[in-house]
Amino acid sequence: MSGRERVLVAMSGGVDSSVAAALLVGQGYDVVGATMKLFCYGEEVPDRPCCSLDSIDDARRVCQRLGVPHYVLNLEDRFGVDVVDDFVAEYARGRTPIPCVRCNTFTKFRDLLRKADAIDARWIATGHYARAEGGRLLRGRDRGKDQSYFLWGVDRAVVARMLLPVGDSTKAETRAAARALGLDVVAEKVESQDICFVPDGDHTKIIRQRLGDDAPALARGPIVLADGRVVGEHDGHARFTVGQRRGLPGGFAEPMYVVAIRPRERAVVIGPREQLLGRGLVARGVNWLVDPPAAGATLEVQVRHRARAVAAELVRADGDEVELALQEPVAAITPGQSAVLYAGEQVLGGGFIEAATGQRLALPVLAA
Amino acid sequence: MPEPIYLDHAATTPVRDEVRAAMEPFLGPRFGNPSSAHRWGRDARTALDEARERVARCLNARPDEVCFTSGGTEGDNLAVFGPWRARRAGGRRAIVTSPIEHKAVLAAVHHAAERDGAEERVVPVDGDGLVDREAYRAALAGAAVASVMWVNNEVGVVQPIAELGAEARAQDVVFHTDAVQAFGKIAIDVTTLPADLLTISGHKIGAPKGIGAIYIRRGTPLEPLFYGGAQDRGRRPGTENVAFAVGLALAAELAVAEREEECARLGAMRDAFEARLLAEVPDAVIHGRGAPRAPHVCNVSVPGVDAESLLMALDLQGIAASGGSACQTGNAAPSHVLLAMGVAPELAAGAVRLSFGCLSTPEQVDRVASLLPAMVARARAAASAVPVW
Repeated sequence: MSGRERVLVAMSGGVDSSVAAALLVGQGYDVVGATMKLFCYGEEVPDRPCCSLDSIDDARRVCQRLGVPHYVLNLEDRFGVDVVDDFVAEYARGRTPIPCVRCNTFTKFRDLLRKADAIDARWIATGHYARAEGGRLLRGRDRGKDQSYFLWGVDRAVVARMLLPVGDSTKAETRAAARALGLDVVAEKVESQDICFVPDGDHTKIIRQRLGDDAPALARGPIVLADGRVVGEHDGHARFTVGQRRGLPGGFAEPMYVVAIRPRERAVVIGPREQLLGRGLVARGVNWLVDPPAAGATLEVQVRHRARAVAAELVRADGDEVELALQEPVAAITPGQSAVLYAGEQVLGGGFIEAATGQRLALPVLAA
Repeated sequence: MPEPIYLDHAATTPVRDEVRAAMEPFLGPRFGNPSSAHRWGRDARTALDEARERVARCLNARPDEVCFTSGGTEGDNLAVFGPWRARRAGGRRAIVTSPIEHKAVLAAVHHAAERDGAEERVVPVDGDGLVDREAYRAALAGAAVASVMWVNNEVGVVQPIAELGAEARAQDVVFHTDAVQAFGKIAIDVTTLPADLLTISGHKIGAPKGIGAIYIRRGTPLEPLFYGGAQDRGRRPGTENVAFAVGLALAAELAVAEREEECARLGAMRDAFEARLLAEVPDAVIHGRGAPRAPHVCNVSVPGVDAESLLMALDLQGIAASGGSACQTGNAAPSHVLLAMGVAPELAAGAVRLSFGCLSTPEQVDRVASLLPAMVARARAAASAVPVW
């Protein structure tokens, strides 16, 4: 075998991972492409930009063009448990999950990593807009595309094996690179915005599929104000997320938002914007990508993809739980989303938001 | 990288040089339509008739009993639907088959059951893949057609087709055998073999993909799959693929002529490979080993090793093998053949098939046998790694 270092590239058939593979070929790596088959739509969804068999074919064609091998790896079973089951369970608990975080943590950078081990690949690469440098995980150079928010759960030791070659580029540069490399199959592909296993944007279908038509999360319940007054009815709290305005009753003096979901009463709590603001949060399932900082440390926290990171103080960090005090109020701190901790460009770690604190309405912290 | 090694002959084989040369004129100057009355047509028709006779001779059949098809899948479909549709009005509505058939048979039977009201009788097999004879006999009662493959494409197990066929015919059940993997490995003489229908495929024996043949014993009740012209007595309408039929005829003749010598050669390589594998990886499980097997197939699982990882590792060393059969991209479901044989799902999910053939040499087999243990060890270590969180 040659002395070139082998890298297993996770390829979705989209432009980012295709260009990632091409760049690595150009950098002299021994590139092996792999497309993960993670779920089966069945016959319901004829056309999808990502993850379908067509996408597998696109990835294969890109690899053929690059002169590197391509494999299809079926991780359906594990993905079903680690990502889809959790997604459904989180909605059932009245939370708003981010399956991409768990897919990165468990599927791409754990299960796929084992395949890399099996073929003696030192490196594992994806088309994420983030950077891995010297064991540190950094935001993507293109702040509009930055995907570091989804990568906090990767094991610290794995970051040292990650290659994220498009993290230094803008999306426009990536598309241009695809055209320049002759990867016409993927250069102009429409970007997938949906969750890959929720192809039409309606996540209630999969909840119904897994939990049945009578799932409490999809059953009628009250819309209430913080003081408990019932002001309307909804047809399933899983259709709501904190900060949402769509689907709420009108007739209030100021715009109303979902400010909390209380699954036990099937209640969707609404309130004016000021009730949406939190001044702190508790996160669990914490993973550190640096040596854990001590309580009292100042860092930045980002509570949603594309939200602005704000300065925060680490109030406590015990085991896999952290509590943060925010230096300015933040809207829509949503249980189930990620609280990702940064120092400037660098991802320090993150956790799943358990509860907002310092909100004007008191919310019970759920037992884990 | 050293010379790549192709160990997937059960999936497909290269077209032999002499076959390609024999086909060449029919892709060029001898392009006529065999149904045309002019000289081009007569020329093509003669070549087609001769090809039919030559294939018939390879089976010891009469020429009118040979029908060219597009390959194994078409032959299998015709053999399932043809007799069933012809006989259902007479009250014979059941189709008997085994759970280790190729999907071309299983899916056809299933379709007939789901959509057309056939009764699907799937007879179990034992741990080595041999059909349960008692259950088979019972299932035959009142059936229209029985279909049991001669040599299994995944594990190489050889069914006692003469006996199974005789039992079917004794109960007036039309008997079909998928002989796609058997042809060229087992001597076939339809004058003594109690089979009414027998399917072969070109690309497993050095002819191109897209050509096959089905033997149809005279008098077998059969409705065609297609409707159109009068080609092949209406059994298979459509302008015949003369060039490929000529190719199939030569490939079949060569396979029959070389059968004994080639089987001895392949069997020696396969057995040597398995002996070395078991010596170095003692917990490897070779499927179907307790039954008679065709000499070209080795299907092996190693506990704790998934097929995907091993196949990738093999391919990256230039060694081509497959998991189960070739057809199913990204399908991680364990092989239906192995599951039917009672292999545990985890073990079945790790099964890798190496199939030997015209391109195989003892040196190649030696190289694979010496590389495989390290790949197995690495895949096993990777799969059993304890997650750090």
